[in-house]
Amino acid sequence: MDGFYEKIAEILEVDTLNPSEELANFPEWDSLSVLSVIAMIGSDYGVNLTAADLRGVATAQALRDLVTGRRGR
Amino acid sequence: MNLIFSHRRISGLLAVVPANERSFVEDMANFNSPPARSLKLKQVMGYDKHRVVDGPVCASDLACFGLEHLFASGTVARDGCDALIVVTQSPDYLMPPTSSVIQGRLGLKHDMFCLDINQGCAGFLIGLFEAFALLEQPAVRKVALVNVDVMSRKTSPRDRNSYPLVGDAASIAIVERSDDGTPIHANLKMDGTRREALMIPAGGLRLPCSPETAEMEDDGDNNFRAKDNLRMDGSAVFNFVQVEVPPMIRDLLQTAKAAMEDVDFFLFHQPNRFMLHKLADQMNIPYERMPSNIVELYGNSSGVTIPMAIVHNLRERLLTGSIRACLAGFGVGLTWSSMLIRLGPLDFCELIDYK
Repeated sequence: MDGFYEKIAEILEVDTLNPSEELANFPEWDSLSVLSVIAMIGSDYGVNLTAADLRGVATAQALRDLVTGRRGR
Repeated sequence: MNLIFSHRRISGLLAVVPANERSFVEDMANFNSPPARSLKLKQVMGYDKHRVVDGPVCASDLACFGLEHLFASGTVARDGCDALIVVTQSPDYLMPPTSSVIQGRLGLKHDMFCLDINQGCAGFLIGLFEAFALLEQPAVRKVALVNVDVMSRKTSPRDRNSYPLVGDAASIAIVERSDDGTPIHANLKMDGTRREALMIPAGGLRLPCSPETAEMEDDGDNNFRAKDNLRMDGSAVFNFVQVEVPPMIRDLLQTAKAAMEDVDFFLFHQPNRFMLHKLADQMNIPYERMPSNIVELYGNSSGVTIPMAIVHNLRERLLTGSIRACLAGFGVGLTWSSMLIRLGPLDFCELIDYK
């Protein structure tokens, strides 16, 4: 899971990312970013998330936990 | 519900696309978002080019052009079809039916069953079901199934949610009886409670077109569209497809007692490359068995995309041989449907430009 937060930061177009900050606070957290995150997690981590999976995810930390959990299955 | 047919085949397929091509980069000038952001959308979704009509071209124009081409090439006789099914959500008029417009313009025989169906992205399957059913009648020997839409005319060029993916096109499938008694399994589900996920709010009797419905409004996401325009709730549609389509395909294969490996090609409606790749990932289908290139080359033309995917990707193969195909359509209604069918050899399988 190296570089996970850097990849999310890149999608959100920010230099650094505080993993516990609410994703909703980022101006670039829109439907396109959601799709970009789903695409990145699928290609880089082999986890297929649905749009609904992301609905309950508030922070980058929570997203990382979700992906880690799915990978462990 | 599960549906089952037999002794039916598609004997030929023709797709018609407008010669006029637009690129995503050209479209970007109309979007109210930074170019870098739009380019990212292009990359993620797989947008590039799309074919849209240039001027006031209607559904019947594309359909008549295609049918005249078949008559002229001698593949289909002018009086050779006993039924004409037109599936469209962008008809020439509220009334009369577009099938009657086409019948009249082409001077087709009166001994003919003309039928319009208002359906979109599942419209190729819905049309096939109706064609298969009509062929129960001895008097109906050959059905021309026309799928056609000119949705670019109802889509706001300032709506980045919809405009870059929309394409106009028509397809003509000739459907006939066959000697092959192998069951054709299919399934279909509909959910009208989610009918507003894909809609054109104005233009019917509920909300007639007026100067107010033509006014461009910001939906809060920097996309400008009027009530006269197509409105798509992109996230709701994406979610619908991801949740409903994989179990539908599993059920279909189970009913048909077929395995994933028994299917040569998964020829699905083409919403965009991204969604198709996600579906392939969810179902462990290799990308090469699920074509996803229609939107980037021609645009998403609703019910025409399955014939387009077939004609563009499998032309040579289907002119000489046959494949076992899993078709699936999903969209407006909401409607989702799939079918396991043998395709080919086809008498014709062609894509032509409308000029």
